[in-house]
Amino acid sequence: MSIVFACGLSSLAKSPAQTSSQHAGPFKASAIQIEQIQSEGVKLPAEFQMSLYENVIEQVEKTKRFQHVFRDGALSAADAPDLVTLHCTVTGFTQGSAMARQVTTVVGQTTIDVHVLFTDKDGKTLFEKDTKGQVRFFGENLRATYDFGKKVAAVVRANFLATSQGSK
Amino acid sequence: MTPRVQDAENYFGLSCADVQVYVMRLPGSQDARPRLEETDFMLKNYRFIFTLFVILSAWSASFTFAQPQPTQQATTSFRAVHVIGLQDVKHNAKGKVSVSKAALEFTTGGAKNELPISSIQDALTGADSQRLIGGTLGFLTTFAPYESGRFLSLFRMKIDTLTITYLDSGGGLHGAILTLAEGQAAVLKEQMVAQGVKTSVSVEIKSNQETSSKPAKGKNL
Repeated sequence: MSIVFACGLSSLAKSPAQTSSQHAGPFKASAIQIEQIQSEGVKLPAEFQMSLYENVIEQVEKTKRFQHVFRDGALSAADAPDLVTLHCTVTGFTQGSAMARQVTTVVGQTTIDVHVLFTDKDGKTLFEKDTKGQVRFFGENLRATYDFGKKVAAVVRANFLATSQGSK
Repeated sequence: MTPRVQDAENYFGLSCADVQVYVMRLPGSQDARPRLEETDFMLKNYRFIFTLFVILSAWSASFTFAQPQPTQQATTSFRAVHVIGLQDVKHNAKGKVSVSKAALEFTTGGAKNELPISSIQDALTGADSQRLIGGTLGFLTTFAPYESGRFLSLFRMKIDTLTITYLDSGGGLHGAILTLAEGQAAVLKEQMVAQGVKTSVSVEIKSNQETSSKPAKGKNL
């Protein structure tokens, strides 16, 4: 009963969570560099910040849309001819309570609002999107970062064409 | 009574019993058995004292060498769970983390993952909590009858988180998150700082913040 209710809630919440702009069709790039997660006036705990970053890298690698997925500061990224850079800025954060969530189902959710921006090597914006990572029922608070990584991966799948070789 | 006893009794004015005891202790006395027993007793005493001395010496020596040296303190290991971020280590892998002179070591299932101290950019501690019954069993309790899984969710334990930011050989930024038992993250961080790890928030300031502040909540704080 509670699971059905939780699933219903998550399906309802999907529609307003993601908004995008400047969508010019699917892009093709051999490499992507993922910048460290920034936060604008939001007090984000360090573990959430780094977990967001690591989950985004993991999930983007799994999409196999890029031959190379570079981390922030990677020296070899400069050699990539068609490098795309992903910038993530946290605009909102609500740290819920795992206990309240697991006991009541309807309260205690953790939500992270992130503005996602893709730019090319010259710094020109390819497209941007507001997306949200959240945990409603199962899992601890850090699971919201995993949810965010999955959503970024879905954005990448929708907007980038697969290159001839897989990532890594 | 022997002539000697009679002489002693007359000369010193002692009682008969006193003189008899004295005579038995004299060298060349006819009754040598008490002297043998006494010698045996003394020998046993010496053995006991010698044994006691050896034990005490050994104990003091072991106590001296067992004093916590700075290097030994640095190698204290803590049980930890790897949440994410260490290369070649699975998520939620349980293991032991320790700080040596040159690296932060995470050992799980016989495999050792070393993170050079020089590559660590920052180390930050945090506090969290998790279900007492977690993992697969914890998940299965959600299907328990009469909503007893919800009741079990009330039982939680406090944990510490340790977030480590480090660079790989190619300059790429990594972030590793470990969870430890309550109170151990600060100790581990102290050991890391003692070995030369940089941190943006000192341990003292962090402890003050934890006592005074509440969990972050709300947008655009």
